[in-house]
Parts: sequence; structure tokens; C-alpha cells
Amino acid sequence: MDEYPAGSLDLNVPFLLALGTAGAATYDSGLTGPLKEQASLIRSELPAIDTDQALALLRYLQDRDASKLPCNGRSAPKKHRFRIKTAERSILLLPRRARLPDGIEMPSPTAVLHSPYSPLSPISPLYPDGLIDAQWIRKHQDLIPSVILCFYTLVADPTLATLCDNKIKTDVNNVRGLLSQSGHKTKLAVVLVSDQRSPSSESVQERLENLRRGCGIDPKSMFLVPPGGSPEEVQRMAENMLTTLYTVSMEYYRDLGRHARKKRGRGVAPQPTVPPTSGTSQTLSLAGWNVRYDFKSAVFAEYRLEMNDALRSYEQAYENLFSSELMEVIPSWSPRWNEARFLADVLAVRCIRCLLWNAQHSAAARRWQSHRDRMADFVDRRGRGTANYGWEAWESRWALVMASLIEKADIPDLAPDTLRLYSQPEKSLMADRLQPWELLHHPGYWYRLSATHMHARRAYAHQIPDDDRRSPSASPASHVAKAAFAYDTYMCPDPYEEYPLNHVGVDHGKMIIDRLKRARIEFLKRDQIRAAAEVSLECARELALAKDWATVVKLLRPIWTELNFHAEGWIAIAEELDWTLRTASAALGNAELVLALDWELLSRTFPKRANWQYDITKSLEGITTKSKPEVSIADGQVVPFLSTSFLFKREEGKAGQFAQTQLTIKSNAHQGSAPVVLSNISVDFDGCLSRLTINHEEDTVQQTQGTVAISTVSLTRGTEESDADEDDLETTNANVTLTGASNLTLAPGQTLVFNLDIPLREPGETLAKSLTLNLETETFSLHQTLDFDERTNPNLWYISGSVTKRIGHPNPLSIRVLPRPPKMEIRCPVWKDQYYTDEAVALEFELLNGEDIEAHAKLEVTLFGESPPIFKVEIPGRDSDTSSSVRNEESRLGGLPLGNIESLKTSNLQILIPPVDRSSQFDLTLQVTYFLPTNPGTPITKAAIFQLNIVNPFEANYDLLPRIHPDPWPSLFDHDGVRSADPTDEDAPLAFKGLFQSWYLLTRYASFASEPLRVVDIDVVLSPSPSVRCSATKALGHPAGGRLIQPKTIEEASFDLRAQKVTLDDRSQAPLDVALLIKWTRPDSDEGTVNTTTLPVPRFSLFGTEPRVLTKITHMVTPHPVLILSVYIENASNHFLTFGLVMEPSEDFAFSGAKQTTLNLLPVQRRTVEYKLLPLEGGKGRGRWVPLGLVVRDKYYQKVLRIVPGGEEIRGTKEGGVEIWLPGADVS
Amino acid sequence: MATCFPSIACLGVIGRNNNPLHVSIFPSYDPATNSYRPVRTPLQFSLLLSSTLDVFELRSRQNVAAGTGLTGDFGLLHAVDERLAAYGFETNTGVRFVVIVDMRGRIGSGPTGRTTTAGDGGKTPATPASAAAAGVGLREGEMKVVFKAMQAAYIRLLQNPFFDPDEHSPPGGHGGRKITSRKFGEDMRRIGEGWTAGVTSL
Repeated sequence: MDEYPAGSLDLNVPFLLALGTAGAATYDSGLTGPLKEQASLIRSELPAIDTDQALALLRYLQDRDASKLPCNGRSAPKKHRFRIKTAERSILLLPRRARLPDGIEMPSPTAVLHSPYSPLSPISPLYPDGLIDAQWIRKHQDLIPSVILCFYTLVADPTLATLCDNKIKTDVNNVRGLLSQSGHKTKLAVVLVSDQRSPSSESVQERLENLRRGCGIDPKSMFLVPPGGSPEEVQRMAENMLTTLYTVSMEYYRDLGRHARKKRGRGVAPQPTVPPTSGTSQTLSLAGWNVRYDFKSAVFAEYRLEMNDALRSYEQAYENLFSSELMEVIPSWSPRWNEARFLADVLAVRCIRCLLWNAQHSAAARRWQSHRDRMADFVDRRGRGTANYGWEAWESRWALVMASLIEKADIPDLAPDTLRLYSQPEKSLMADRLQPWELLHHPGYWYRLSATHMHARRAYAHQIPDDDRRSPSASPASHVAKAAFAYDTYMCPDPYEEYPLNHVGVDHGKMIIDRLKRARIEFLKRDQIRAAAEVSLECARELALAKDWATVVKLLRPIWTELNFHAEGWIAIAEELDWTLRTASAALGNAELVLALDWELLSRTFPKRANWQYDITKSLEGITTKSKPEVSIADGQVVPFLSTSFLFKREEGKAGQFAQTQLTIKSNAHQGSAPVVLSNISVDFDGCLSRLTINHEEDTVQQTQGTVAISTVSLTRGTEESDADEDDLETTNANVTLTGASNLTLAPGQTLVFNLDIPLREPGETLAKSLTLNLETETFSLHQTLDFDERTNPNLWYISGSVTKRIGHPNPLSIRVLPRPPKMEIRCPVWKDQYYTDEAVALEFELLNGEDIEAHAKLEVTLFGESPPIFKVEIPGRDSDTSSSVRNEESRLGGLPLGNIESLKTSNLQILIPPVDRSSQFDLTLQVTYFLPTNPGTPITKAAIFQLNIVNPFEANYDLLPRIHPDPWPSLFDHDGVRSADPTDEDAPLAFKGLFQSWYLLTRYASFASEPLRVVDIDVVLSPSPSVRCSATKALGHPAGGRLIQPKTIEEASFDLRAQKVTLDDRSQAPLDVALLIKWTRPDSDEGTVNTTTLPVPRFSLFGTEPRVLTKITHMVTPHPVLILSVYIENASNHFLTFGLVMEPSEDFAFSGAKQTTLNLLPVQRRTVEYKLLPLEGGKGRGRWVPLGLVVRDKYYQKVLRIVPGGEEIRGTKEGGVEIWLPGADVS
Repeated sequence: MATCFPSIACLGVIGRNNNPLHVSIFPSYDPATNSYRPVRTPLQFSLLLSSTLDVFELRSRQNVAAGTGLTGDFGLLHAVDERLAAYGFETNTGVRFVVIVDMRGRIGSGPTGRTTTAGDGGKTPATPASAAAAGVGLREGEMKVVFKAMQAAYIRLLQNPFFDPDEHSPPGGHGGRKITSRKFGEDMRRIGEGWTAGVTSL
């Protein structure tokens, strides 16, 4: 905007001049030459006042100057808006009418003189056919105030008051006279500053009235500053004054606007004072006058802030200007051509500002674009085209103007803290197909656009042929004449100044940099770091042309370190950045930066630069350094040409063992670059070692296959710990440094693989952290640190140069080092799958010390399970007769000292577990904790778990069968026989005289053991009962020495039971509790320890009062096999019972005896009925079971009694009947 | 006055790690030489694409604050100058599609879907002056079809079992490899050449 004449583009603000204050500089209106001579001087004769009051007021007024306020309707002050200037005594006002220059006669006495800036006045540069220029704008903005505010002192001293008042009157009248003489309609206002407190306000009022009348001043234009007022009062007064004066000022500008419109309305072109005699003698056409009037009324509307009116008038002027009558007819060689272009620019800028004022941002952008397009079209058609430096200069300026317009408008949508890059279109344009650029972007974009056009301007300037670049004085005149019309020099220098041949011309670079820097600031304000970097890069390119290397480094270095274009993969950008920075830093002699950049540029991801020597060792050639530069490049600072990986082959290792690892370094340098010879590399670890270093050694063995070189590096303890025994891997030392040597020459594309065996010492996690590559040369040293990252670590293990395999475990950068494994062994030589209940278990254990040295051991034994027994541990040679303690489900015995166990020796012990009576399962844990004398602080623990199964070896089932007691029942009537002892006599032996029964207990027992067991004896135990006497005799004899019972076999044993009640009176049911005892041994047991397994028999019940029928078969030894069937009917009740017996005849046998009879039974009586049976020969001589048709019926209750078999050869059937066994013929 | 029409000048796919995955550059009409050629150098396009990342970041911040932007369509990111404008789209996996539109990329009597290649200046030549005239604008939604097509192409790429997205944008890492799929490149070329304002499917 600065290139345009001053004030031509600025927003017009009402002009107020304060006259008569001391200290204020004299107002310099900038009038020069003849105009200054003709100017009318407005002068106040009274001395300037310098009271504090007046100065405070003046300062406040100056603070309220509105000319620098943002140009938008939003933040404009509502009450007043003034551009305030001050003058001490006098002001030169532009002459209302310009006199004719000397030598020109007044054509006629009636001729009218015109304003000096009018095209009608010969003195004006516009004479005779110019349109309007910036001077006219300046005239109202700077030269002619709308209001002159005169300061006077109101003297309070009554003796001087009248005199002073009269002086004021005279002065005001004088000033007003001068004003009216000048012809300007500037308003006059007076401010009176009281010098001290007035005696009474009434007299002041009177004086004021007097003054006002004497001066002929409107009461609204006279102001009084009361004496001794506080600053707030002064401010309030000043605000009121400004508000009042603002309306006066508005009236002034309205009058001017009305005047301009009136002149336009006349519709005739005024004639100049003197007809033009030079040039084409052409005067300004009516269309031109209309543009001029429209422009004027627009500017006056702008003074009044009537922006819509202003916009309308400006647009009208603009359209007329481009009409076929004006710009189209101006020849491009004429100076008026450029003046018209200038006017078009001014109009467009003012239109845009009106639009921005009304927050029509997209319309403003569109207006900007349309003016550009229209101008381009116009210049192409009528001017010298758009392909020249002049046009690009204008384009650049046009973008710059927009940037400053946007900045001045202070648009809230584009404020940096909104982080918005462009404003949304206003509602009226929403539906249109908008160009993206029409969404108003923030000034950074405009500055950049301006810089781009400046680039183009330079490119065009550089195409100017040499002939045109010579200064005209050095060129032939004909050439000058030709060149004069070939170049568009609108607001830009001629070609011989734009790009002169012999000296420096326009510094395009500086202008580009200036614009780019401003763009960069705008981008950075809005966090557009990448856009700012882009601008910086462009800027650096310009600076490089200007060889301002320090600024290049200052600009680009932060980008290089902070924005990692290379790592992100923006190779082209990174390349540009690196090379620019490299050139700058080399020129500056910044060796560190050069080295770091060369190191990065070695990478093949960048395109190879032709004719460039890629050799890091020669980077510093031509750069002088004070000391040997040392560069440390942290991980991530540059993207190195090396990629590395580190692998532990296994996920786990054990302390005291070696871990296989592989370190791979791959060079991705440019083909043809010099091999990099690293001095040494070191890997840093976290865990059981701290660092591993490989030094360069030229002649080491390497297996090279293709581009892969594999070497095995033997590692030794670092030199700083040389006093430690190198083979002693047992000591724990976290700060272990290992060193090795290998060939570290890295040719481009080559992969170096190092196989390393790392001794592991401490248990825990060991992690490979980073790799440091050191490059030492005579001229510099460079250290590059690279962190290993599991995400990018390629898990490839080189088996040979061409064969790789993928390491399976998830994190090959770390290894879990397990503690040293215990070498103590716990063994049980004889362990059986099953142990049996009721058997004392003795378990033998051996502890074998597999360590190299003796061990001091302690033992802890735990038996875990449901109600574990208390056990004992016997250790030979030690009287550790301790028993375990039981808690919860665990029986524990701890802290048993085992003493020292020699290396490779065993220690025996025995665990004794008492018989367990239930089948159960236990976990037997033996835990040996031992210490080695070499490392007494570290306990080593070995545990072994054995599962102890204890099972029941036998199971049995039981049958209790009734038998017939041979003895007769006692008779109820035999008093002596049945009377029992007197219960009161406790000493009397218990005599059993009650009923008795005989039973037969049949048991079948099975072995559930897993091995044969020897049953030594088998017996029953009867639990005693007070009312019943019971005895058992073994029915079958047990073989002496026992019987060997195989697993899963069933054996029988039977017992005869006899039971008798104590008294006959007691005939109720009695329970029978029996347990079966099986005495057994293991067949291989030498000692003959007999274990007794007790199997409880379910409870039976004996006796009862119900009548019972028992049958028995006996054989009579006769020539014929005769069976005697005895039927015993027992009546144990207290009733007299009658039974009917019916014996059905059978086909199988004949019988003798009552077929049908009746039996009477007294209470407590047993009677027997016998039948003789003779088997018939129906069975063909074989024995067989035949049913017996015997029915016994209780006569009284009509109830059939069940017939119970009471011996052999007779059995009950399922239907409730009875069968008897008829022997075959061979029996006899 | 022959009008200018918008065309695509560059298509960029940027990965999660801000790494360029794919860049296709298309020729635009150059009124000075009356031929078709790219308006910028590959380096300049790289810079343009990279600077859109700023806008993506700014917008995501605004979107998070306002709780908007769930569709991933960022619309106009910014206009670089009066010719080039960048539009953006972000997938829910953080892959960003950038379309740089040249508002005066094509000249002619109307939008055509015809493939234009560099040097194909045989169509009605217009005077350079008229070519500079303002062309047809764009509505906000007119890029949706491009993003849809790009996303479809990217999805087709992802469906290839040999394409490992993590290789191209390692999670939590830096950089990544570029997309080398020929088919994807052809898809991009088809989209870039086929689009004109008002096209409803690609």
C-alpha cells in the first residue's frame, strides 16, 4: 500500500484541527510551491495557552484520534470519529481557487477560477484532461479541516476579565474573517479553559453569553473547561465536545457531498479557465467528470461512514471508468493511461474496504479477483500485456494491498486464536458456486501470493535484453524511444532501473523475503508449522541467492531439527532442506552441522546428486575449524543411512550360561560413496551387563556372501576390570563391559552381522537399549546413537549371508535371565502307585547333591490333603524324631536340618506316615533349601512333589440268613427257667434266659488292591448289647498262613451267630452291629506286620414279636431217599395264635403228613410240624429245585405267613414261595 | 471467452504417521504455452500436501472441541492461491486423502470427462487473456465423489492380503513405505483424470 501516493487508499476520517495550544508542533500541511504562496493563512493572534487543563484536554483528544482504528463497522466508535491534528498558532489553508500561472492572461474578466486540483486549473497536473488524483483526497484529509477548534483561556481575574474577553472576541472574529475569505466552509468552534476557580458560575455564564454573542458563535460550538476538574471530568467534557463537533463535521461533509452531486446533476462538462493550448487540446469529457463527481461523493460518504452509499458511488465510478468512453480511449503511451489505472486501483481498494467494512468477506475477495481479472484483460487488450515485469509487479502489489486491507479490517473470523484459515462466505453467497479463493483467507496467504508474483517479476526482469538495461544516457536515442513504449512501467521503474546492466537495481530478493517473512509470521500465528516451513524454505532460497547464510541457517535449522520431513517420508522436501542447509552451513563454517547433514545425505533414500563426492571423511574439506569438531547425533535427530537390529536368539537364558545374540548393521548409503570405517560401536544394555563394545580391527575373519559379512566376535571383559578373573562368570556385577574386535568397514549396501555370545550373570530382564556408532577421523569425531525399537527391529537372524530365519519370540531385544537352576535331586527309589488304608506307610527318599561342591541343606516336608495325618521324618544319624504339625489341610514339618551333603553324595531319609483309615489323596512336597559355601547369601531351592494315593484294599457285602436254633424255646410257664435275675441286684451275674435265635452271616469280600495281598485271618466283631447276648463262630476254617488274594477277586467267609435275649419278657427287636475284620499282609513284607482292615457291616435286626415260619430239610438215611421237612412256627407274641397249614401235593414228590391241619400256639411257643417227602422219579435222576406247596395261614388274621428257609437245600423264591432241592438218584 | 474449469492437479494419500503414501500429479492447462503441464514441480506439490497436514491438525482440534467432523470429510482445507485449493478427507484409521484442485485446470466449452495428457493442447485454443478469466466455482460437496472413489480404491488395496497397512504406517512409529500397488496408482490416475465439476460417479 505504501507504493500508492500517501492517503490515496486510506479510509477517510473527518479532520479536526485544534488551534491555539502550546507545545503542539506547527501543523505542516505539506503545501509547496505556488500553492503555498497562494494559501490563505488562518492565524490566531492570542498567545497559545499552556495550562495543564488545556494540555490534558489536548492529550485526550489526540488519544481519541480515530485514523488508526481498524477499518470495520463492528469496532467503530459510534459517537464520534475524528482525525485530530494540532497547530500552535496558524494553519495554511489550500486556496479555494488557484490563480493562473504567470504568463497566462485572464481570458476574460468573467472567467471563473477553479480549485488548484481541478483539471480546469492550468496549475493542476490534471490540466486539461486528467480525471482525479490523490492530491484531491489529501486536500480534504490533510489540508482542509472540517472543524477548527480554537483554544482560549478564560481569565478569572475580574480586573482582566473584560479585557481578555474582548481580545478573544477580536481574535475569533479575525479567524472567522480569514476563514470566510479563504472560501472554505470550515466550521469554527471555541473551547475556553478557565485558568482558576471562578468566583461564581452565574458571572461565568454571563461572560460566556457575552463572548458567544461577541464572536457570533453557535452556542453548540462553544465549550468551557471548568477549572480544577479531575481527569475524569475533563474526559467527559471532551467526549461531549467531540460528539457535538462530530455532528457539525458530518454536516460539513454532507454539504460537500451534496455539492458534488449537484454538479454531477448539471450534466455538462465545465470548461477550463483557460482553454488548453498544448498536447491534443482535449479536455475532460462528461463521462470523466461523472467519474470525478461520483468519486467525490463516495469519498464524502466515506467521511460520513455511509459505507453503502460510498460503495455504490465507487462502483458507479469504477464502471464508468472502464466504459468505452474513458479508459478504452486513452492511449497506452499517455501518462493519463497510468493515471486511469491508478484511479481504478484506488476505486477497487475502496470498494473492497467498503465490503470488508460491511463484513462481506467473500464479496471482497471476489471484488479483488474481478479487478485483477478486469485489469489483466484490459492490459492485455489495450496495454502491453501481462507477460512482463510491470504486470507482475502490479499483481504482487495487488496481493499485498489485499493483505494489508485484511489486516486493517481486523476480521474476527480470521483472528489467529480462532485458528481459522479462511472465513466462511456470507449468507447471500452461500448458494453460489464460489471459487475456493473467494473464501477470504488470512493475510499469510496473500503475502505469499505477493511473493510468488514478485518471483515472476524477477524472472521477467531477468529476461530484459541487455540493450534495454543500459541507462538511456548511454543508449542511442532511437533505442530509448523504442524502449519507452515497450515496457509497462505502471508504478514500477523503467527497465534500466529495474534490472540495470552495470549496477544494482531493484532488489527483488529483499522484497520477496520481506513478503515471505510476513507470510511466515501469519502462518506461525495460526500453528501452520508446515506451511511456515514451506515459506521458510522459499525464503531460504532467496537468502541463499543473497548469500545471507547466517539467516538461512537461523531459518532452516529449527525446521530441520523439529519437523522431521525425512523421517516422515517427504524425501523431496527433506532433500531440498538438507542441501540448502548444507550449503549455508558450509559457507558459514559450521562444521558440526555440515557433518550431521552429510551423514544424513549419505542415505540412499535421497536422489544421488551428480558430481558430488559422497565421503564423510572429506566433508570438512575447505572448512576451517578452530578445534576438532565433535558431533553427537541423538536418535531421531537425523534419519541415518544405517539401519540396525539386535536379536537375542532365545527368549530365556539362565544365569551362568551364554546367550547367543546377533547385531546387524546395514548401510543404505549411496552406491559409489566411500565406505565408512567406524572406529568402534557399542551396544548399551539394561540388566546384567551395561555395555558391549566392538572395536575396529582391519584383519579379522569375516564370512562374506554377497553384501552380507558375518563375523563372530569373541568378547572379553573390559580392560577397566582387568584385575577381575576373566573366566569367573559367577561374580555378580551389573556394570560389566565386554569388548571385542572386528572389521567395521561398511561399504554402501553392505550388511555387517556380528554373532556375539554374551555371558549371563544376574537373573532378571536384560534389554538391549541402544547402539552408538563412533567415527573418529583426524579432522572430526562423530557419534551416532540409535535406539533399538522392538516395533521396527526386524526379527531376522542371519544364518548365513543368504539365509535368514525369523526369530519367533515377541521381543528379541530382551532376554529373561532365569536364576541358576538347582542341581539337587530328590528321589524316591521305591514309590508305589497305591498305598492302603490301615497300613503304616514308610517312604524312603534320597537327596543327591548334583552341585560341584558340598551343600548345606534343610528340608521341609508338607503333606497336603483332606485331614492329613501327622507324620514323622527319620533322618539316619540324626535323632530328629519330630512330628509334623497339622493346620488346615496341611501337615507340615519344616526346618529339618540335613547337614552338609557332599558333592555327588546322597542323603537318605524316611517319612513315616501312620495308618490312615480312610481312602484319601495327599500331595507330599519335599523342599530342599540349600546354600553353597561359595555364595552363602543366595538360597537355592529345589522342590519335589509326590502324589500319595491311599486306597481301601477291600470291600465286602453281607447276607444274614436265619437258621433254626436246635434248642427248644423256654416255656412261659416254667417260672424258674425263665425268671431272670432281679434287676435290682446288681451283683448277680447276668443270666440269659430269654429267647434265642440262630443266624448265618455270609460275607463276600473283594480285593481292590493293585497287587495280591495275603489275608491272614478274617473275623467278625460283635458289638456288645446289654439286652442281647451274641456269639459268632467261624463257619469255615481259614487256611493257616493265610490266603493270597489276587486283585479283583471275591472271597467268601461265613459265620454262625447265636443270639439270646436276657429275659423272656423282652421280645422286641434288637439291633445287631457287626464289623468284619480282615487281617492281611503284603505278600512281600518280611516282618509279617499284619494290617487289620475293619469293614463295618450294615446293621441287622434280630428278634421280633411277629410269628415266624422256618423250614428245614433233613435227610433220613433209608433205602429210599426220604427228606424230612420240618416246619417251625414261632409265636413270640403274647397272644394265642391259630395257624392253618396246607400242604399241596406235588408231582415231584410224595409226602406224608397232614395235608391240612390246624396248629394252636400259646404265647412264646415254638411248634414243629414234620413232613416226610419222597421224591418221585420225574427228574430223570438229576437233582432239582421243586416248589413246595406249603401255606401257613394265621387263622385269626387270615394272613399267609412267609415261609423262611432255615437251612440248606431250601430256598425262597422271588414270588414269596419256597423251593426245595430234590436230590437226584445218584445221591442215594 | 472460453471458460476455465476446475480439474484435479494432484491427489495425495497421507498415512497415519504423516507420511506420504501416494502422490499423483496431473497436468493442467497452461495459458502461456497453450498446453497441458503440471502447474507445480513435484517438490512444490510435496510441500503443498505436507502443509495440508497443518490444516488437518487444526481442524481435528476444532472438531474435537465442537464434537463435529465425524464423517471425516474436511471439505476445503485451504486455497493456496487463486488457482489451487486443497480439499481433505480423513478415514477413521487416520489415513488422509488430499485433493489439490486447479480451478483453471481445464479449458473448453464445458466439463468433459475426457482424459487429458500432457501436451494435449489440440483443443480449441483460447487466447491467453481469456484463459485468465475467472472460471467456474465449486460447491463444498463436489469433492465428495472424489473422496468416495479414493476411499473405495484404498479399500480395494487393503483387501489385498499381501498389503500390510502396518508396514506403510507402523503403529506409533515414524514414516512408512509408500504404496507401490500399480492398480492403486491406476485408480488414482483414473480418478484424477476423470473428475470434473459436477461428475456424480467415478
